[in-house]
Amino acid sequence: MRVGIFICHCGRNIAGVVDVNWLKQEAAKLENVVLSEDYIYICSEPGQKFICEKIKELNLSHVIVAACTASLHGETFSRAVENAGLNRYLLEIANIREQCSWVHQSTPEIATKKALRLIKAALAKLTYAKPLIPIKAPVTRQALVIGGGIAGIQAALDIANAGFDVYLVEKGPSIGGHMAQLSETFPTLDCSSCILTPKMVEVAHHKKIHLLTYAEVKNIEGTVGNFDVTIVKKPRYVWEDKCTGCNDCVDVCPVIVPNEFDQGLGARKAVYIPFPQAVPLIYTIDLEHCLNTEKLIVCENCFKACGPRAIDFLMEEEEIKIKVGAIIVATGYDVIPLEALPEYGGGRYPDVITSLDLERLLSPSGPTGGVIKRPSDGKIPKSIVFIQCAGSRDPEHGRPYCSKICCMYTAKHALLYKHAVPDGKVYIFYIDIRAAGKKYEEFVQRIVEEERVLYLRGKVSKVFGKNEKLAVWGVDTLTGRALEIEADLVVLAPAIMPAKGWKELSQTLKLPADEFGFFTEMHPKLRPVESPAIGVYLTGAAQSPKDISETVTQASAAASKVLALFSQKRITLEPIKAEVDLELCKGCGICAKICPFGAISIIKKKKKKYAQVSKAACQGCGSCMGACKFNAINIAHFTLQQLSEQVDALLEGEKWQ
Amino acid sequence: MAVAQRKPLNLAEFKVPKGKVIVFTELCKGCELCTEYCPKEILELSEDYNEKGHHYPVIKPGMEGDCIYCLFCQEVCPDFAIFSEQVEEEVSAQNSVEF
Repeated sequence: MRVGIFICHCGRNIAGVVDVNWLKQEAAKLENVVLSEDYIYICSEPGQKFICEKIKELNLSHVIVAACTASLHGETFSRAVENAGLNRYLLEIANIREQCSWVHQSTPEIATKKALRLIKAALAKLTYAKPLIPIKAPVTRQALVIGGGIAGIQAALDIANAGFDVYLVEKGPSIGGHMAQLSETFPTLDCSSCILTPKMVEVAHHKKIHLLTYAEVKNIEGTVGNFDVTIVKKPRYVWEDKCTGCNDCVDVCPVIVPNEFDQGLGARKAVYIPFPQAVPLIYTIDLEHCLNTEKLIVCENCFKACGPRAIDFLMEEEEIKIKVGAIIVATGYDVIPLEALPEYGGGRYPDVITSLDLERLLSPSGPTGGVIKRPSDGKIPKSIVFIQCAGSRDPEHGRPYCSKICCMYTAKHALLYKHAVPDGKVYIFYIDIRAAGKKYEEFVQRIVEEERVLYLRGKVSKVFGKNEKLAVWGVDTLTGRALEIEADLVVLAPAIMPAKGWKELSQTLKLPADEFGFFTEMHPKLRPVESPAIGVYLTGAAQSPKDISETVTQASAAASKVLALFSQKRITLEPIKAEVDLELCKGCGICAKICPFGAISIIKKKKKKYAQVSKAACQGCGSCMGACKFNAINIAHFTLQQLSEQVDALLEGEKWQ
Repeated sequence: MAVAQRKPLNLAEFKVPKGKVIVFTELCKGCELCTEYCPKEILELSEDYNEKGHHYPVIKPGMEGDCIYCLFCQEVCPDFAIFSEQVEEEVSAQNSVEF
């Protein structure tokens, strides 16, 4: 064993705290070490070359790089040692930056000693390292897109246009998502459905896109390149291949319920399409509201009226199993419910509505045909108070983040309202106006200056009913005045939160999410569409609040990542997998139960039971290794022996266990 | 206000089928299946008795126009004592639907 140690200065990041010279000399004294060198930026091209040269010159068998984290430059150095002909698993990285110099800046002496310990620990682990060969696996060149909003639509179209099959799964009866609900889009005032509908139709007619609406992802197993996905298609009680979308069933249906698509401001029947431009144009029977139940079918009005005989009350849930190579998560957002905002009268007064409700009132295809009417009495409001940051930027509601799009759409709403009701009064309470985007600031300025809209900088403390109107108590912090405004309608810009069901999806996909439920990306700046679950990509508001243009950008970015994956026939997987020691294994099955990926099964061989690991499914998480009572299961490159030697070295002989 | 509790603004545009309930009072044995199953809850038992001595279903006062011709009563009646007949004129949902 001939070990070479390379210590990085990282400019002043490490060398400014740790005494690199002393460290170099001490490290050289360690067992099996034939070389100990320092370098100012070892990750640089000449730095990597230096490692290569030294490996060849001194015939090194193992290498330790003491620098930053392995997650930042592990790949860089692995490639460098590979270029010199060494197996990449005979390299160990001692993190003396994040775990040492950065956190012990005030105590350089102790930091230097700790750096030496970290190097010793790396050496101890490396002593028992074995060369490993990466696993090659075939790629299933089909993708799964979860969520049929604009993010999912764009991603699916981009992948399908490159010639690969895409399964687009949407929970609701139609694709389109929240964008289909909007009236106009900022800052150009393009009609939302005019720009979205062509894309929806393209999805429906694309040969490579398999659209699964009214369906949900139930289970996902496997790993990048080879996911086994189980999708449950809920019964819509209407055969998709027979329904012609003629509307005959709707006319005879006796049940009227509020339409969720219209935010409850419009009605629909129990057999319905959410909106006229729905894709696919297939009716759905909502059995929750239909007079019939699963056991009792009496009302046959729709059944009798249906010419093509598409209605079938005996339809059952269908399970679809598919194989895909990559997954795009585009599950989008929900807004905070009005009941969660009682200080603004949310949930108590029907004329306190959310911006999404107002979008439906403004939409020409909405329940009022584009005429703004109050939900309580249907009158046209003569004064509107907009309250921005309702729930967002508000730690008391548990949502300290900015919902990002509210400043822009509130300005748009003010403009649309003023154009519809020129003598109407508009008051907007805001904290700050955040209009960062192409032509965004110009748009807001235009409304502030030209539309006779009153922007009031401050917060609202209370909204309450007063003589069929709403009284809004607020403060204008620029003039220092307390205000009471009488309004016909109060529109809240509600906080954006992740779509319902993020928790379940996060569990099925092993996808980490932040404390609010937005899915976490690999790196916020440099890898914003890749998730830590390899082969799973993020797009749209599922990752963080975004507007349409950003969502579309990210969707195309995610699609390009998927296409990069699909451009190769076989992918390389890390050989860091569980291995069973057949001598020690008793076949107790604890590991099989604990494995979060279902990679371990118990088999019987020669009258004895063993655990068997599927290398394709194993992710090398190490749960089984920790759970095994007999130390019979080890993760390659992180074996029990390696880890305990490493800990021993860190503690320098102090007792543990 | 929760989405479910809102009153839709476009109810006037929606039409529902209309029916007329006809009861053969002498056939009724007062089992109450029809009053139980009527989804609009427009049926109740009468004050007086039929020939057999049973209370029979009548339409609640003021709800005469509320039958939606779903035929639940007709389907569940074990004695063929009640049925509904479709009335051509369709009612607007404006006043007949409650949320």
